[in-house]
Amino acid sequence: MTVLDEATLESSPVVRPQVRVLVDRCAGCQECVIRCPAAALHMDTVTWVAVADSDACVGCRQCVRTCPYSAITVEGPIVVAERHEPAQARPASLLGDLSEVRSGFGTWAEALAEAQRCLACPDPTCVRGCPAHNDVPAFIAAVRDRDLARAHEVLRATSVLPDVCARVCNQAAQCEGACTWSLAGGIPVAIGRLERFVADQLPVPPPSTPPGRGGEAGGDVLSVGIVGAGPAGIGAAWELLEAGAEVTVYERDECPGGLLGWGIPDFTLPEEIAARPWRQLEAAGVDLRCDTEILPDDLGALLAEHDAVVLANGAGEPLRLRVPGAELDGVVDATSFLRGAKAALEPGGGRLDFCSSLGLHLGHGGTPPLVLVLGAGNTAMDVARSAIRLGLRALCVDWLEERFALARPDELDEARREGVEVRFSRTLARLTGEGRVAQAFLSSTAQARPEDRPKVLRRAPEVVDVGLVVMAMGYRNDPAFAAVAPGTPQRPKVDGLPDRRWTASGVLAAPASGASHRDPVGRLALRREQGLWAAAFAPRDRLYVAGDALVGPSTVVEAMAQGRRAAAALLSARPTRPGRRRPGGARRVLVCYESRGGRTARAAQEIAAVLADHDHSVRSLSIDRVGPLELASADVVVVGTWVEGLVVARVGPAKGTVAWLAGLPRLAGKTAGIFCTFSVAPRGTLPAVRRVLEAKGADVVAQAAFGPGELGTEPTSFGPAGFAAELASRLARDGVPAALAFDRRA
Amino acid sequence: MVDPEARMAAIVQDEIAPLRDPLPTAVHLRGPERAGLAERFAPTDPLPGAELTAHPRVARVVRSRKFQFLLILPNQIIFWTVIFVGLLGTAVPGLNFGAAITWYVWFCLVFVMMVVVGRAWCAMCPFGGFAEWVQRRSFFTRTQKALGLGRTFPEPLARVGFLIPVASFLVLTWIEEFFNIAGPGNPADTSWMVVGIVASALAFFLVFERRTFCRYVCPLTTLIGTVGSMGSVAGFRTRDREVCLTCRTKDCMRGGTDGFGCPWYTWPGSADSNLYCGLCSECYKACPEGNVGLFLHKPLTSVVAPRRRRADVAWGIALLWGLVLYQQFNATNAFAAAETWLDAHLGFPHYPNPIDYLGMIAAGALAFAAIAALIAKGVASPAVDFARPGRFLERTSRFRAFFVPMAYGLIPVMGADYFARQLPKFFQHAPRVVPAVADIAGLSSTRSSVYRFSIMTNGWIVVVQVAVVCLGALAAAWATWRITSKELVPISDHKVAVRVATVGVALACGAAAAVLYVLMHAAD
Repeated sequence: MTVLDEATLESSPVVRPQVRVLVDRCAGCQECVIRCPAAALHMDTVTWVAVADSDACVGCRQCVRTCPYSAITVEGPIVVAERHEPAQARPASLLGDLSEVRSGFGTWAEALAEAQRCLACPDPTCVRGCPAHNDVPAFIAAVRDRDLARAHEVLRATSVLPDVCARVCNQAAQCEGACTWSLAGGIPVAIGRLERFVADQLPVPPPSTPPGRGGEAGGDVLSVGIVGAGPAGIGAAWELLEAGAEVTVYERDECPGGLLGWGIPDFTLPEEIAARPWRQLEAAGVDLRCDTEILPDDLGALLAEHDAVVLANGAGEPLRLRVPGAELDGVVDATSFLRGAKAALEPGGGRLDFCSSLGLHLGHGGTPPLVLVLGAGNTAMDVARSAIRLGLRALCVDWLEERFALARPDELDEARREGVEVRFSRTLARLTGEGRVAQAFLSSTAQARPEDRPKVLRRAPEVVDVGLVVMAMGYRNDPAFAAVAPGTPQRPKVDGLPDRRWTASGVLAAPASGASHRDPVGRLALRREQGLWAAAFAPRDRLYVAGDALVGPSTVVEAMAQGRRAAAALLSARPTRPGRRRPGGARRVLVCYESRGGRTARAAQEIAAVLADHDHSVRSLSIDRVGPLELASADVVVVGTWVEGLVVARVGPAKGTVAWLAGLPRLAGKTAGIFCTFSVAPRGTLPAVRRVLEAKGADVVAQAAFGPGELGTEPTSFGPAGFAAELASRLARDGVPAALAFDRRA
Repeated sequence: MVDPEARMAAIVQDEIAPLRDPLPTAVHLRGPERAGLAERFAPTDPLPGAELTAHPRVARVVRSRKFQFLLILPNQIIFWTVIFVGLLGTAVPGLNFGAAITWYVWFCLVFVMMVVVGRAWCAMCPFGGFAEWVQRRSFFTRTQKALGLGRTFPEPLARVGFLIPVASFLVLTWIEEFFNIAGPGNPADTSWMVVGIVASALAFFLVFERRTFCRYVCPLTTLIGTVGSMGSVAGFRTRDREVCLTCRTKDCMRGGTDGFGCPWYTWPGSADSNLYCGLCSECYKACPEGNVGLFLHKPLTSVVAPRRRRADVAWGIALLWGLVLYQQFNATNAFAAAETWLDAHLGFPHYPNPIDYLGMIAAGALAFAAIAALIAKGVASPAVDFARPGRFLERTSRFRAFFVPMAYGLIPVMGADYFARQLPKFFQHAPRVVPAVADIAGLSSTRSSVYRFSIMTNGWIVVVQVAVVCLGALAAAWATWRITSKELVPISDHKVAVRVATVGVALACGAAAAVLYVLMHAAD
């Protein structure tokens, strides 16, 4: 697909994109009309089908992706100016060089030219592609207006690390991969560089703490402990601090920042940028306690000390390849190498001493020792490129085929250009050496499809002389924390029917961006969205989890966004540690029901009305309309179902309710009530629903079954009104007991 | 008792620090266009009181995912029986269940359903139903992944709309006449025809998405769609158009938790006739707002009221009209002489000769088109600019401005004519279904009194046929009068002449069909 700018089009007007509406199939739903960024579609009032104006069309194909009936085709070029790519830094010698490799826009002219490429789509897919959901069109509009303060304001609504994310995010699989130009097969707007331009030109504002904060210390101020000072911890701490909470952060390392501090080399993320968030957070009043390791057994004490705890300690257990010779000297993990290399590469850091400590002796004029890096992901690339800067040679091997590999294409290019050798379809078979590793035996692998596990081929392995082996295949969560935070780490997966607002936006349409590796960008975004919402649900009462600790190894922006989401959920739920009075009496109640003939819905409405009369904030929704936002925003969940079955056979909750219950997240800390409506007998309906809710961590305090007699026209104390009154009275008391307070079964 | 809904309205929602989803903040959809909306749909929107699903029991039945499955299942059983009995049963057509049920009863009942309900047959069709079960990998549950390639029907073919199914109907009818399948002739031929339809449907369902076969290929879809528009069931429509316009998910089109996206490419929010409503109820199940209902409307509303008239539908009606006239004419003495002459000169010694088959159908259609063109030339106002360029379905012209509405007005008489043609088989032989059923167990013979029983004698059948056609002609005249008054009078200089001419054409068509029945009877 060609990319044409307006000047080219004016000189050759025949190459405009041609939009055609298949009037036979156009149902006049206006999905294209309301989303067209160029206003090139409108309705014919007589035939009530969409009419296209090809002269206004820019070829973004948003209409093609969003039409439910595939009734629109666009042929021809994309009408957009070419993207400006600033040259990358290429120093003559990389030895000891820490200068930033990727460049940002240096002038307003460059930034404005790029900002003009943004279509400001009415339904911006880039926003869905961004894990933090930055309002990309709005901040780019601010750049167009040369209003950097407004741009920061827009970014601040969703991100506290714009300067960091602009540098370390893989935009090709996120916002830029989901840019409408990208989805149309063109070159996306340089969203990352524009974000970086904003942060480079005007420093990120510090957290704005509410006036008078700290004056009520020990009073009703929410006290939150955060375990881990990485991106998730930063996100949570920032959000909580701005809401007026007392925040204490416990960090195992001597310096805060986690991965930002030791994991990402300076040539990608300069020290100054990486240290900025904690400099500002500490100045704003966060109690940062470094060199303080929190073990799983310590969480109980921490929960007693704070109203809530956010577990954001990452996934720090390096994966190790179990091959013969892996125990030899000279086999290290990526974490220790990167920590040491980062320090060694700093001015006066002792580069040669660090190499010597690894058993690598850099001679004068000889061939430098080879560092074999196992893996070809972000970490492996950082290890290899750091090794090059230490004066070593680097070879990365990955057992995936290159076309299916997880390596970022841009990072792979940079690494290869810097002299890193990267071989795909190879795996380490064994290591040999006299006490210290000397040779690596690499076997070939084959992989037919991205989802297949590569097969090791029976060929003679290739022998490579190595000086050091760095295992950089990734990390995993500390299994000890899974016991104290049930359900973690979660592995978000996309199955079932995605939110139709996502489908309607066109971000899930195939073919999606080719720059997003193995998965279409929409599916990647949906997976991230699941992780984001998972952060809003506490796996244990008052214990929230975010970042890698929640979803396993992920990215900086995901961790930060999850930290913010966990903090927002925490602020919304207002938990209190034992012995403290809960602020305010009103609870947010969500009455969810599945109704077939309308009786369960009527009962739900009656319950909701009574609870509202008791000054609780109540929502009553059919279960198919209950999303994570509704669930996360509720303190009390009341679940109602009709009773399905044949009088005595297979009697239980409605199948839809059973499926819905099975898909619920953890509901720790939430109070629950259950009711069902039946014609003959509810039998095991209530216990079945209760079992599931309790397994999810909810406290079920009331349950009731309503037969035809209790669902009359007048409210009775035995009917839904009575149930709701009893439930309200339980909610009015502090400290809801785990035992059933109200139990009425037929 | 306090109205719970009124109390709910007073409930303050989200008054305490809610979690916020940042996505909606960034979404700034344009407002949907509403200009002319009310006038566009007011004539075709059914009255709220005409909603069948307002009744809880009906709502419960239609809401059930088993609703369509239970409609399809009996027909599925019958037509697989037709296939097997046709192939393995007796060769006597009247005693073979496959041939007897198909040609003595089924086709006639389908017409009754069309005229009364619309696409009722489509909702219970075992051919599309079977293929859809395979495509969805489910009998009735909502599945997420379809089996097959899921392609969209090629745009160039979709652009001719109903003309492909009309062509397939003409081909199928020619095959049926050639092999005397519907006579009925050899029962195995009936089975093979059904197998062919099932196999075609299955192939299309596995290659293309949704009900592409039913919408674009099925031989019966034009006939059912057009004749069905006389029916009193408006189909699934929106209760509140504003809700549909502002709906952000369009679950009725894309598929929701409980329902598939519309298999017929219809949107309840803009439906103005029952032409493309397959009555499958998926939109009713899928709508998260509960804003879809099953409505009734007055008979002929979908013929008279819609503002959007389609050229493919009009040509389809004209060709179907040509076909039914051919089928009547070929039973007259005049046709026998003409055919003998044609067969001798064209070297095709078998009925039906494709040249005279297609020639006469085309002649019937073109004659109607020519009359429309003459009326247009005679009465159209020169002040009106009729011409709008475009492709087949989009362009307009003076001829189309008259031909298309007039063709819609022809629907009642065309439908009545097809129905009348089925009556002899029904009245004479429908009772044979009983011995045909018994014959499956080997308990019957052609000597059975039921086998020889006729509901009506030939003479009375002709009377009924003429009466049916006359009724159709009167309905066509009324529909044409309404359509003319609404659409043709404003673009004509001669208000009375256009009414007289168009209504006269409708009545003349009815008279021609009625006369042909008399001639057919005389030939017998």
